[in-house]
Formats: sequence, C-alpha cells, structure tokens
Amino acid sequence: MKKDKTMSRRDFVGAAAAAAAFTVVPRHVLGGAGHAAPSEKLNIAGIGAGGQAAHDLRQMESENIVALCDVDWRRARGMFQRHPDARRYRDFREMLDKEGDKIDAVVVATPDHMHAVASMAAIKRGKHVYCEKPLTHDVYEARVLAEAARKAGVATQMGNQGQASEGTRLMCETIWDGAIGEVREVHVWTDRPMRGINGLYWPQGVGRPTDRPSIPDAVAWDLWLGTAPERPYHPDYMPFKWRGWWDFGTGALGDIGCHSIDPVFRALKLGHPTSVEACCTIVNEETFPVASRVTYEFPARQGLAPVTLHWYDGGMKPPRPKELEDGRAWDTNGTLFVGDKGKMLGNRLIPEARQQAYGKPPKVLDRSPGHYQEWIDACKGGKPAGSNFPDHAGLLAQVVLLGNLALQPSLKEKVARTKLLWDGEAMKVTNLPEANQFLKREYREGWTL
Amino acid sequence: MSKESSRVSRRNVLRGAVGTVGAFTFVPGHVLGKGGARPASERLNIAGIGVGGMGGGNLRACSKENIVALCDVDYGHAAGTFKKYPNARTYRDYRVMLDKEDKNIDGVIIATPDHTHAVIGMECIRRGKHVYLQKPLAHSIHEVRMLTEAARKHKVQTQMGNQGHSSNEIRLLHEWIQDGAIGPVREVFAWSDRPVGGNPWSDFPVMARPKERPTVPDKLDWDLWLGPAQYRPYHPIYHPLTWRGWWDFGTGALGDMGCHILDPVFWTLKLGHPTRVEAVTTHCVPEIAAETYPLASVVRYEFPARGDMPPVKLTWFDGRLLPPRPKDLEPGRKLGTNGALLMGDKGTIMHGSHGAGGVRMIPEVKMKAYKRPPKTLARVKDGSGGHERDWVRACKDGKSASSSFEYGGPLTEMVLLGVLAMRLKNTMLEWDGENMKVTNCDEADKYIRPAFREGWTL
Repeated sequence: MKKDKTMSRRDFVGAAAAAAAFTVVPRHVLGGAGHAAPSEKLNIAGIGAGGQAAHDLRQMESENIVALCDVDWRRARGMFQRHPDARRYRDFREMLDKEGDKIDAVVVATPDHMHAVASMAAIKRGKHVYCEKPLTHDVYEARVLAEAARKAGVATQMGNQGQASEGTRLMCETIWDGAIGEVREVHVWTDRPMRGINGLYWPQGVGRPTDRPSIPDAVAWDLWLGTAPERPYHPDYMPFKWRGWWDFGTGALGDIGCHSIDPVFRALKLGHPTSVEACCTIVNEETFPVASRVTYEFPARQGLAPVTLHWYDGGMKPPRPKELEDGRAWDTNGTLFVGDKGKMLGNRLIPEARQQAYGKPPKVLDRSPGHYQEWIDACKGGKPAGSNFPDHAGLLAQVVLLGNLALQPSLKEKVARTKLLWDGEAMKVTNLPEANQFLKREYREGWTL
Repeated sequence: MSKESSRVSRRNVLRGAVGTVGAFTFVPGHVLGKGGARPASERLNIAGIGVGGMGGGNLRACSKENIVALCDVDYGHAAGTFKKYPNARTYRDYRVMLDKEDKNIDGVIIATPDHTHAVIGMECIRRGKHVYLQKPLAHSIHEVRMLTEAARKHKVQTQMGNQGHSSNEIRLLHEWIQDGAIGPVREVFAWSDRPVGGNPWSDFPVMARPKERPTVPDKLDWDLWLGPAQYRPYHPIYHPLTWRGWWDFGTGALGDMGCHILDPVFWTLKLGHPTRVEAVTTHCVPEIAAETYPLASVVRYEFPARGDMPPVKLTWFDGRLLPPRPKDLEPGRKLGTNGALLMGDKGTIMHGSHGAGGVRMIPEVKMKAYKRPPKTLARVKDGSGGHERDWVRACKDGKSASSSFEYGGPLTEMVLLGVLAMRLKNTMLEWDGENMKVTNCDEADKYIRPAFREGWTL
C-alpha cells in the first residue's frame, strides 16, 4: 500500500496528461496539475523553516513534512528536531532538484525578496504553493507569479490567514447588506514597524551598518541574499529585521497591508486603483521611513461608488470618528469604513448601540474550514483557496506594493508634486515614466524568475 | 526736554503703573492717556537676554534704539553680539542685570530657550519693562497664562516674536476670508518639515538622554542655562539650538513653528480655545519617547463654532508628514516645506509660514479670477521685517504691538495644547480652556504646570 501511494504521487506530480490516466482522480482535478486525492497526505517541503515558516508548517502537520530548507540552520533547528525524518537543505533550488518527484507542495516563508523566485521555481515544477504575504517584493513579480500559477493550475494560497476568518466575512456581509450605505472612504492603519511579531520592533529610517561581523557558521549568507545585490552580512538584516530594508523587505505596508487591506478589498470589490499618492517621514535609500501615509483612489466598479483608501503606519492613524463613544479605545491598528449612512470600525458599526440595533447581516459567504486547510483541500482537488494567487492574492499584492512605489525615496520630490496615475491593466504609471523602473527590480547575477 | 526730566519720565515708564506716572505733572499730557508711553523723539533703552542666536537678529532690528545691556549664559555663543554693541554692559544672570540696570532699561528683548521664557519675561514685566519675547511665548500653558495676565496687569507693551503677524500677507488672508473668498472654513491642515528640516536650526535630535558627561565650556554657565528646568549634566546636544528637541527645554516642531504657521488661521478664524485635541506620534522606544519630541507627529484639534463661523477641525503634521494632496492643487505644485491649507465650502487657500507667506487661493486660475476686496486692515510698517520696530513703536505711543501677549498668549496656549497632546499621545483630550484643565485626564496637570527646580518660581 505504501509503495502504491508513492507511485501514484509521483505520477500526480508529473504532467497533467499522466495524471489523467488514473481514473481514481476526481474529475475536477483533471483541468490542472497533479492534485493529491483527498484521502492521501500531501508531501510538503518548507522553503524557510524558522520563524513564520515554522508557524505555517505546524499548521500543516496533518500532512507529511518531508523536506525542510533554510539558509539559517540556527533558526531552523526547532523544526529540524520536530521533523527528524525531513531531509534538510540550505538551497531551495537543490531541494527542488532532489526532491522534485517526492513533494507535492511547498510552503514559502522566506524574507520578501525571495518569495517570487522560490514560489516560481515550485510552480514551474507543478508544485502547489503556500507563500507568505506579501506575495512578492515587487509589483511585477506579483503579476507574473499569479499568471504562472493560473497557467500551471496549481493550488495556491497567500499567508494572509485573516481572509479565512469570520470577521472578514462579517465585514463583507455588513457592507453588502448596505448597513452603512455607500462607502467612499476607508482608513486602514497599523502601528508597525513600532511593534512587529511578538512585540519585536524592526528599525526603519536607519542607514546601512558599516561594521562587518563574521558570518555565523549556520548561515549561508550568499543564499540568504539570493536575488538581492551583494552586501556584507550583518545581524541588522537577519533574522527578522530585513523587513525594514528596501532590498529585502517591504516595510510596514508590505507586512501588514496584505492582512488588513485584504478584507477591504473583498468587501468593496476593489481592483486596481487609478492613482496613488504618499507622504512619509524623512527617507533614506536603505530603509523604509519610520511612518507613512499612502492614499489610493479606486474608480467606480460593479455598481459601487469610487472610494479613497488611506493607509497609515508607524503610529499614524485617522481622526477619531465622532461616532466612537467617549472612553472607548481608538486602537493603534484598525480599519474604518466611512459610508454615507454610517461608519464601521473593523466589522462592527459604531457606535456600539448601532451595531446592537443592527444585529447580524445575512450570511451569503461560505465559511472557511481554516486558512491552511483551504489550501490543503485545494491541493487535493478541492475548490481554490480564498487567497489563491490568480484570483485574489496576485492583485491584492500588486496594489499593496504599488503603495511602496509611491514611497520610493528617489521619487519623493516628484511624488510631492503629483499623485501617480496608475494603469493597472498595462501595469504602468502613466504620468511619471521613471516610476516604472521600480515595478521590477534587477536580480543579482545567477537569479531569474 | 531736559536730560533730567527725560530720565525721570523714563523711570516712570519703567515702573509701568499709570497711577505712578500721573503723579509727575511734568510728563507730557499726550503720554498720560497712553498708559505711560514715551515720546517718539526719545530712544528706548533696550536690554537683550539671550543674544547669541535669534536675539541677535531681534536686537539688530532695534539698533536705532539704545542697546544698553546684554545678558547671556554663554559668553562664547554671545561673543558676536557683544562685539556689535561695545557700549552695552554684559551679564550672565538676567536677575543680576535687572537689579543693576533697573533704572536704565525701558524694554527687554528675550530670546532664550523656551524653558526660560516665562521666568525671565515675568521678572521683566514685574519691573514694568516692556517685553519683546520670542515665540512660543513660554514652555507650558500655565506659564503662558501667567505672562499674559501679568502683562495686562502691569500695562507694559509686549510683542511675541512671531514676526509674520506683522506681515502684509496675514492681513490679505484676513481680508479675503472676511470677504467670503472661500466661504466658511471647516477644516485646516498645517504642516512643518521640522524636526527634520535639513538645516542646523530645523533639525532636532530624536534620541535617549546622553550618558557621557563632557566638561562644561568655560564661557557657559550651565546652571543658569538650565534655569527652572530639572538638573541634568551639561551636554552639547542641548545647547545651542538643539534644545528645541528636548521635552524639558523646547517645544518641538509644533512649538517652534506652530506660532508662525497656525497664527494666520488662529487670527482670521478667531479660533480661541479648542475643545478637543488628540495626537499620534512615531515614538515607540520608551527611552527616546521620555526625552525628546518624536520624529513625526499628527495633532488634531477641534474648535467649536464661533459667532457665525462653523466648527473647525485643524490638523497639524510635522516630520515631513503631510495632508492628502488637495484636489485643487495643480499637478506640478507641491505643498511646500511649511504651510497650511484652509478648506472652505467654496474654495481652498494655501499659504506658507511666517504669517501666511505666499498666500494664494488654489488653483491659481481661481486666484487670478478673484476680485480682491479693498485693503481695510492697517498695515504694519515694513511688514514682518518691522515686527520688532512695531513693538518699539508701541512702547513709545502706547498702542499695542501687532502680536502683543493679549493675542500671542492665547495663540501659544493653543499651540502648547497640541504639544501636550503629543506628550499624552493616543488620548483624546477634552479641554476646558478657561480653567486650563484637561477634564478627562488628570495626568495632564503636571505638563500644563510643570514643577520648577528648587529656587525658581514664576
């Protein structure tokens, strides 16, 4: 039995035509690449095994964790010990080469600058991909990755787990129920980078370190750099603090935007904006600013009014709404919908009396079996996960990352004089051509998408 | 007029109180009705306190008067100014100067760090001296209130150093608003690039308290520099200039620039006391947040309706944060490094710093089409550049200067309430302006009226 299973898996991961030869495969699977049958366990490999990767992989332990790859074996130690049978790698390319016929799916939870190349390498091999948010580092990468996932027919999911929550559904259903009327203005804010995961802070607004500490034995620095330009190792970059550096991370907006803008995207059925404009604290070429505001304008769509979305980070937030009761917390993270018939903070109308009077909206959305389970199900031939790349995450990530384009240090003087007009279909800024160079960065030699 | 009578009348002017002056029958009649002012033919005897930086410029503007005494706690920083006025006697301690020169001084120009404005200003006012005091008027709201009341009581002529209030542009703005150029104004945005303006005077430190203890320079009296502030060891990161960034000494970007940039709307919209204010800041490291102003902040004020004018929301941005780009601003134009936007029901006005500098309706086509109303407000001679001389004029003719404490005091209170909100960030403060009380946060009291170091009182 065990042997059979292995054989069938090997065939699944082969060409779609080969998979089609097995009549036991559910019908709806046939259109795509190999999907494991629901009764089988997936063989999953981790690209990134410490930090958030460890968290993600632990949610998937109903499946087989067969291989683990990390450029920092210190950080990976916990997962290595937890899955002693999983084969260990430092270079995901080597892992995919060696394990190619043994794995069904990969979980990509590296620093942002490696998301696209790692995910793409997996997709090209017909692997299902769970990739942490933001989907990629650049707008272009997000677009190309989503297209590749669609073409390959693999199951995908971005790591914005809130999309599976009841809260997101309530938010959508309340808006769709017309509880606050037409929405023309939305505010989304976070206190990051002030407080990141577990209360950690990652510096922004700082310059490049000049000292050169020696590389720890457990770290494959060149592999950590991956697509990024060469620079000496420094603990200011890794682990975790890479988020603040333009070459590696995507700042507070990249970190949290895919979480907190996601439900807004769904509730307001957003697509590409028509313009983006930003301001921020003092900039430098190395790290993201300490605080910023990014303002997107979305056109009328699907019968909905045009809407302006304001993003704030670094402790900035919108004015306290008069509907919020005195004494009630005006949190340092939040989402405020401004409708022509009321306001909604998170997924509750304000003031609370209004929510109490309103009750609950009609349930029109399916409930989720859980963010990770959605993807596992999709890998086994179930319906696409809620934040799959082609239908949702690719576009969401492009829009989020477009905000970072407006924060580019070298564009600041120009952006101060105009908002950037965005042609989403053509993927270009139409009124400031030089901005388009930042849609797609150059990779270091030896790396391609 | 003989030298003797001139001296006597001066002395009475110095004493301030009208009753005292009235006892001297030889004082010219036209003076008496003006609260003890001096004839224009006479020169004022002026002393400077804090003369190394801004004070030097203020004194220069009054160089047609007699500069009789100069006081600075740092003889090194003040050396250039001392040299310009070789006949002026020099002092380190303003208290000593005021004691020794009491009979010789009519007016005082004060340009010290913010934390010593009040004690120095008050001592001068009590002695009946006219006072030109740099903005912000003081370091705490309580100090400002005390100074305003004292100036009223002692009937001295005062001027706060927000020179833009003497400008032509601030009067243009006032006339346009009264003309209804943009209709009722319900929202104002104002901003400054400080504390990261990129110049020595506009960059303030954002940091924890230094631990090293450099030697105090020979020419600096550090204890006097500290004045009423709590003791801490000397460090060059405090003095000169960069004291603005420290809670204990300066008032941050808002205190520094608010008295310039918010002056036009405070005046033209008759804002008065706000009822609510809330701030957010970039502070997140406790050791830094406890010492210096933040790298950036946003402060939101709410003002109630005033007469027939609707309530106003005023938002202040600093650290290069800005309001969303206004729809009326043409592509290619930017908001500038310091300025404000007045959002009216019928249009938008944008101006820069220092008294509505460069005031324009936007877009420009609307400005061009606007039929300007007659210039009904009296202009100050030489505009902003005549601000100090407007005070000299007031000292002589007894008619208030353009930004006397009666005006500069309330303006500064409003500005400092925003500073208070930064200190108590993320808290909506309910403000009872009359009683100087945040009604929903008792913690605010210690910032509204901070404790002085022992030996110092207001």
